[in-house]
Amino acid sequence: MISHRTSRFSRMSLRAATRRLKRAGDKPHVIYLAIGFPPAAKSSAYRLRETANQFCAIGWDVTVITICQEAWEREYGLDHTLSEAVDPRVQVVELPLFREDLETDIRAFSEARSLQPQQWIDERDKQEQKIFPEKKFGRWRFALEKALLRVHRERPADLLMTTCAPYVNLAATWKLWQTYRVPYAVDFRDGWSIDVINGNEAFPPDSVAGRWERRVLDHALSIWCVNDPIARFYQERYPHLADRVRVVRNGFDANSRPTLVRRPDPADGLTFGYLGSVNFPPAQLNAVLNAWRTARQQDEVLARSRFEVRGHFGAGAMREANAHVELLKAAAPDDVIFGGPVPKAEVGATYARWDALVLILVGGRYVTSGKVYEFMASGLPVLSAHEIEHDASNVLADYPLWTGACGFDPQRLAAAFSQAARFAIEATDEDRAKARASAERYRRGALLAPAVRHVADLALGNHSPANRTSGAPSNTIRNQEPQI
Amino acid sequence: MIKVLIVAGMVPPRTAVLVSALRQLRERGAQVRLACHFPLSRLPLEDGLAELRSLQAAAKGAGAAFRAAVSGAEPARQVWLHARRDPWVREHARTADVLVALDQRAVHTVWQLAQRHRGCDAVFGLTPAIKAVDARLNNPSRAGRKGALRTPSPRLLVSETRHLSRDTARLLARAATGRQAMRTGAARAIWRATVSTPGIPDRVRVKLAKRVEDSMIRVGHLASAAAAANGAARHLRDPRMRAELFKPIVDLDLKRGRLPAHLADAVTGELYDAEALYRGFPPTKAATPVAQAFDRLFHRALHFDSLMSPLAKDPQGFLAPLHNSMMARVLAGNQGRSEPAAPLPVDRPQRLLFPIGLNDNFLTPIRQRYESMPGIEVRYLDLSPGTPLRTFLNRGRERLIAHRLAGKSQYGDRALELFGPDLEWADTIFVDWCTVFAGMLSLVDPRSTRVIVRLHSYEAFSWWPHLVDFTRVDDVVFVSEHLRELSIAAIPGLRRPHGPRTHVVTNALDLQRYVRPKSPEARFNLGLVGIGAIAKDPRWAIEVLRTLRERDARYRLLLIGKDPDPTVSAAAQQYCERYERDLAELEPTGAIRRIGQTDDVPAALAEIGVILSSSVRESFHCALVEGAASGAVPVVRNWPFFAGKPHGAHTLFPREWVVETPQEAAKRILAATATEEVWNEERQAASQHALATWDWSVTQHEYDRLLLDPAAR
Repeated sequence: MISHRTSRFSRMSLRAATRRLKRAGDKPHVIYLAIGFPPAAKSSAYRLRETANQFCAIGWDVTVITICQEAWEREYGLDHTLSEAVDPRVQVVELPLFREDLETDIRAFSEARSLQPQQWIDERDKQEQKIFPEKKFGRWRFALEKALLRVHRERPADLLMTTCAPYVNLAATWKLWQTYRVPYAVDFRDGWSIDVINGNEAFPPDSVAGRWERRVLDHALSIWCVNDPIARFYQERYPHLADRVRVVRNGFDANSRPTLVRRPDPADGLTFGYLGSVNFPPAQLNAVLNAWRTARQQDEVLARSRFEVRGHFGAGAMREANAHVELLKAAAPDDVIFGGPVPKAEVGATYARWDALVLILVGGRYVTSGKVYEFMASGLPVLSAHEIEHDASNVLADYPLWTGACGFDPQRLAAAFSQAARFAIEATDEDRAKARASAERYRRGALLAPAVRHVADLALGNHSPANRTSGAPSNTIRNQEPQI
Repeated sequence: MIKVLIVAGMVPPRTAVLVSALRQLRERGAQVRLACHFPLSRLPLEDGLAELRSLQAAAKGAGAAFRAAVSGAEPARQVWLHARRDPWVREHARTADVLVALDQRAVHTVWQLAQRHRGCDAVFGLTPAIKAVDARLNNPSRAGRKGALRTPSPRLLVSETRHLSRDTARLLARAATGRQAMRTGAARAIWRATVSTPGIPDRVRVKLAKRVEDSMIRVGHLASAAAAANGAARHLRDPRMRAELFKPIVDLDLKRGRLPAHLADAVTGELYDAEALYRGFPPTKAATPVAQAFDRLFHRALHFDSLMSPLAKDPQGFLAPLHNSMMARVLAGNQGRSEPAAPLPVDRPQRLLFPIGLNDNFLTPIRQRYESMPGIEVRYLDLSPGTPLRTFLNRGRERLIAHRLAGKSQYGDRALELFGPDLEWADTIFVDWCTVFAGMLSLVDPRSTRVIVRLHSYEAFSWWPHLVDFTRVDDVVFVSEHLRELSIAAIPGLRRPHGPRTHVVTNALDLQRYVRPKSPEARFNLGLVGIGAIAKDPRWAIEVLRTLRERDARYRLLLIGKDPDPTVSAAAQQYCERYERDLAELEPTGAIRRIGQTDDVPAALAEIGVILSSSVRESFHCALVEGAASGAVPVVRNWPFFAGKPHGAHTLFPREWVVETPQEAAKRILAATATEEVWNEERQAASQHALATWDWSVTQHEYDRLLLDPAAR
């Protein structure tokens, strides 16, 4: 059962949605397979929203395919304020797909699952990978394929824009290509065959996943990645696709900027803040908290300061009950405040209450994060708690209120807290303006617009994509008949 | 008021999270009860947050049937079996609005309760619990559902029937193969025969045999356990399955300091397992079974805490399971180097690099010589505790194996960062000890730098040389010929057609500083320097002393150094017990004196008239040579590890120094100390030989040839 909604998210019946789709005029139509589209409270939602809006802005009809809102309740929940900035012309199709591993209603469990919950999930993962080589999501393959074909039949698409994760989207993308030869582009974001956290290959080219990746990428009009190291990885792995790999960085949204500039009051202490979805290991958070404690012993201003941590912690049964939250709650005597997630509409106001930001990131040279751009745009001092060799360091290199990255050495991290405090106290309005200006080039819209325009042009035949291996015409197929 | 019943199957690892959630529930006016499957003392909570109940305390006094049912059940089922018989749980589950499983082990209990009480919410996790309470507060009509759903779920009947039949069958099987049964000889005989019966499917046979074997081991019938494992293994072809059966017996033997009869089976199975994982993805998963195979094959009880090593006896035979495995071929390495070692520079000083900080006992004279030599630049890689390099090396074995299996890793990248620049700087790196750093060096392409590794003795009995990629090593230096023979037989990388050059160069010893006058009383003092390892076999020296004292009670034995450590293994403990008994007998009479550790060995040697080497294994035995240089008469046991081999103590030292038995040693001592004149003559001859052969002033030229001679590259 598929339900459609417009960007205002009033649910529509399938028949009404179909009529609406068919009513549309001759505008080009993009199906955007974007699981995590607003109102999902996912870190990727901003990029997905902007991509859809950019297609609307250049005159395309956009149909987003995502999963139903109830499904997100099991993960990081919903943030309806995210939907407010979705272009009203965007139509959204919601699929009733759920992550079963995140189910918390025990009545929905089989007895076997109740006896061995983890083993049940592991076994399911194993089975799932026979359908598509991706844990937790592989089972969605056929539902996604069916939905995509159905939406295309209802209103033929000129382009399929697919964004991963989940990577099972690639199976549906391939199905639409195989059946109707609908050209597609893949917003790969962090890539698949690269393990961005550890910097290793995630799977070899001759594995099942490796064959899937190559098969789908071979025919893609364009392949987007979020940073240069990931793009380079793909260019080296698939030299014949090198000219189709494009870096489309994340950026910041203008409404995430604090509207007011807070005047730090050293007598009252400062407020340090972290905001973001948490995917770094607890040991990393522990290192930051230990450095915070050390810094408070060494620095009088920090001794009366606060460290507020906001964001999504854990999912399913572990939601806000994981090791990170334990560390944060146990650090309450050190004026560490755990506050849960912040709705998108309140992000700017949250930054406005803070004096300095703590950028805690996992991984190394293959990770940039989206958060770094938002932190820069705030104009606040930024303390880096990540590996020295990290792509966020490249982005922050010319940010004037950055403490620099020092890895996780406790003393150096403690010194970085003091340095950030000094920045906060001593920075002039001019310094802050300069800091904000250095982020200007990372406005999300400005970063995405040329990439969207490029892929739209490719789909409509304004440019010929290089070296299409299938030899099939890529641009003008609006055929509802399956290709045989 | 909303009633919440939380079940915890284990001690909550996150107390602060639990406390915070309980406070939130209290703020919402909920009445919270917490049933814990552990002693309540392990969960200190502030008053008023929840009413606590220990399921285990409630089960005290339960009958044998309950205990038997619990003992074999899965952990989650154990929690439920306890909860089911607790009236407190039954009562509060009946009235609860929200049932909460705090952890995975509690889920089944909540599932069972939820089947019985269908009106309440049943959730997994604290945040879902708070949400369920909020939902009830926002929608009080939900409470009305309770009355309508009082009857248990039909799923319950299915579940109960299944569990009853399964539990009964399991209990019968467990009783028949349990410890109680295995205490009777008849049961053991029946099970030994049963697991050996032809026609049983392999998986069933392994499972049954493992259970039987485990029960037999637990009641101390090890021979029966071994026989059962043997009998079952005869019908198994898969080496991994065979290893499953043999590993418990093998580990028990190793723990007891004995050479396991089925060590080869256990190791072969482990390496097959590794091979299967290596063929999968990621291949690095094979690192763990490889490491486990190494741990068994090179267990200290076999090679270091016993008076004979199967590896010394038959290196190729003993290591055949490793050598014949695919893993050995992968680990032996073929990474090679991007370019050969460059010729020595002519336009600048030669650059030498020494890793230091692991064990520099034998390196100091070499370092000092080249530090002060003109035209040589020396640099050190500091591996001392606390340095980044040492941190990198610590617990690095599995990561090194994983790198070698995958061919690349972040660990390898880190190695390049840490010592790549120094390696690049050096013309030659001299790695003393073929252990962890020699292994780690294989992570990095040495490019044009010449790599020299020195192997003493201990390493030949360890896994480290098997993790060195000798295609990246130019020269391997041994301190004696017999070690070279043993190492080449044991380490395939050394006998490859294009393997490294091998050299024998004795240890660098400054022997002049030991030459001191001795008093005539020293004539009857036998000395043994360095007794900390079982391989030093001080009991052999005591046996020599006993033989001597039968003839002349003036002979005494001075033991210099730390006593052997009985805690390292059962084998060491057995040896130390016998050693302590010897000391208890002879020390009070003054026949043995323990000097302990000393910083002034030359002074200690001045008291010694006869220096002994009683070891079962030595590469060179510096203490013996230092004693000889000091003017003590040397008496060397023909080290048994090498006694029957072409080279050993009998070829390293003058033939007259070497003896085969304690009696022969006593005979030599009596002759050499018969009179003061004879003694003086003997000891001076020995001192002159030592100084002329092994003093640093003589041997340093061999090191010069090795390190500085352009022709050596």
